Amino acid sequence: MSEKSYVEHLAGSVFDNLRYQHDWTELQILTHSPVDNSPLPRPLISGLPPRRLYLHPDDQIEILKSNPNPEGRIPETPVVEWVLPVHLAEKWTLKAFASIFDSMPPETSAGPGRVKRVLLATVHNDSTVVYYFMHDGIVKPRQN
Amino acid sequence: MHPETPRLNRYVNALVRCGFLLPEEMASSTISRSPVRISKVAGRCLLFDIEDVMYLRKNHNICSVFVGTIPQNPQQNIFMGLPIELMPEEAQVLVDKKVGYVVDDAAFHPARLAALDDDARKRYLQAVKAEGRKAQIAAAESKQNAKPKVIGTKKEKAKIKTSENETNPEAHDESLFSPPSPPPSSGVPQAEEPPPAFAITPTTSSLLIHPSAPPDSPPSDVSVVDHLPPSYPLYAHLQDRGYYMMPGLRFGCDYNVYPGDPLRFHSHFQAASYGWEEEMAVLDLVAGGRLGTNVKKGYLIGGAVVRADDDGDDGDANRDKKIEGIDKNPNAPRARAFCIEWAAM
Repeated sequence: MSEKSYVEHLAGSVFDNLRYQHDWTELQILTHSPVDNSPLPRPLISGLPPRRLYLHPDDQIEILKSNPNPEGRIPETPVVEWVLPVHLAEKWTLKAFASIFDSMPPETSAGPGRVKRVLLATVHNDSTVVYYFMHDGIVKPRQN
Repeated sequence: MHPETPRLNRYVNALVRCGFLLPEEMASSTISRSPVRISKVAGRCLLFDIEDVMYLRKNHNICSVFVGTIPQNPQQNIFMGLPIELMPEEAQVLVDKKVGYVVDDAAFHPARLAALDDDARKRYLQAVKAEGRKAQIAAAESKQNAKPKVIGTKKEKAKIKTSENETNPEAHDESLFSPPSPPPSSGVPQAEEPPPAFAITPTTSSLLIHPSAPPDSPPSDVSVVDHLPPSYPLYAHLQDRGYYMMPGLRFGCDYNVYPGDPLRFHSHFQAASYGWEEEMAVLDLVAGGRLGTNVKKGYLIGGAVVRADDDGDDGDANRDKKIEGIDKNPNAPRARAFCIEWAAM
C-alpha cells in the first residue's frame, strides 16, 4: 500500500485531470505556503492554463471600451491559477476557506484592489471534476 | 369612482417617486432628520410613513417588502401598499446606526392616549379632522382630473343634470363618507358651502406623536428587535457596503443582493450565511454555484469572523474599504464573504 493520504490522492487526481484533460502546464503540487513556508492545511495545485480563464468584469469593460473589435478581445495570455482539490462529499467551513486564502500569495496579475481567487476543483467518485472559482471577498459575477 | 381611489393614488405616486431617485431629492433628504420610528406590532417591525420608507430607500439602502392590502381585498398578493415589514436584520441595522428606534405599538398607543390632557386631546382631534379635509381635497382633485372634458351644450346639460338628479354617482359617493347631513337644496350653488370633511380612522399613531415629541430628544420608550436571525452579521456586512438586500427564498438563499436599487438593477449575488465553524457540504456549494450561474448571479457565502487568536489581517485592506456616501455602521460585526461562480472549463 502506498503511504499517500486521502488529500494527496485527491490532489493527484485533480493534477492528472488538469494535465491530460485541460492541457495545463507548469503544474506543481504545493504542500507548503509560498508566503511563509508554513505547511498548508491541504495541498494546493498551481499551474498555467492554456488560455486566460478569468477576466474581471471591470477589466472586460475596459477592454471593450478601448478595443471595439469583437474578435480577439479577451487576452489569451494565461495567468497562473491556484487550484484547491476537494471531494464532493466533504464538509467545509468558512474558517477553513479563510485559512486557505490566508496562506496564498496576494493577487498580482490583475490591477490593484483585486482579491485572491482559487479554483475549487470538486472531485466526484466517478472521477468527474467540476471547477468553480472562489473569490476572497465580494466580487461581482462575470457577464457570461 | 371606487372609494379607495384617492388613497391608492397617493401610494402609487409615492411608489413612483421611490423608483426615480432624483439627485436633488437625495441631497435634500440627507440633512439631519429625526430617527425613523419603527412600529413593533406582534413582534414584526413595520413602517407606516411613506416619507420614512423613501428616506431609508434613498439613504440607507433598505427597501424591504410592502405588506399592506386594501381592506376590501385582503387576499391581495400583488401591488401591495403600506406598511412595509422590515426584516429583523434591517431594523437592527437601523437601531445600530441610530437612524431608527423600535417602539412597541401595543404598549405605546394606550399609554399615550391615557396621558393626553384636554388640550392635547383637542389638538389631536383637530389633527384628525385636518387629515380628513386633506383626504377630501385630494379626492375632489382626482375626481376633477378624472372627469372627461365636456364642451358646449353637453356641459350645460350636465349642469342641469347635477342640479336635478340627486342620485348621480358622485353625489352618492360623497354621502358614503360624510356624516349624515341635510341634503343640499337644489337652488343653492354647491361651490359656496364647503363640503363636509371625510371621517378618517387614523391608521398610525403618528398624529399622537408629532405635537409633543421634540425631534432631538432621545425616545424613551425604545423596544428591542425580536427574532434576529443568525444571518445578521452577513446582512450587516453587505448593508455596510451599500448593497440592497431582499429576501432570498426565491433563489434558495438567505438574501438576494443587489448592487443598487432593486428597481434599477438585477441582483448580483445569492447570499447564504454560515457560522464561522459551521459545516457546509461541498455539494451545496456546487448546487449554489450552478443555480447562481444559471441566473447570472454569483453564489456568496459568508458569516461573522470568530478569531481565537490575533493572526494577521493581511487580506483585509480591500474588504474594509467603505463606499463613500454611505453611513457606516459602527456596530457591524466583522464578517468575511466568499463568492463562487462557475469556471467554465
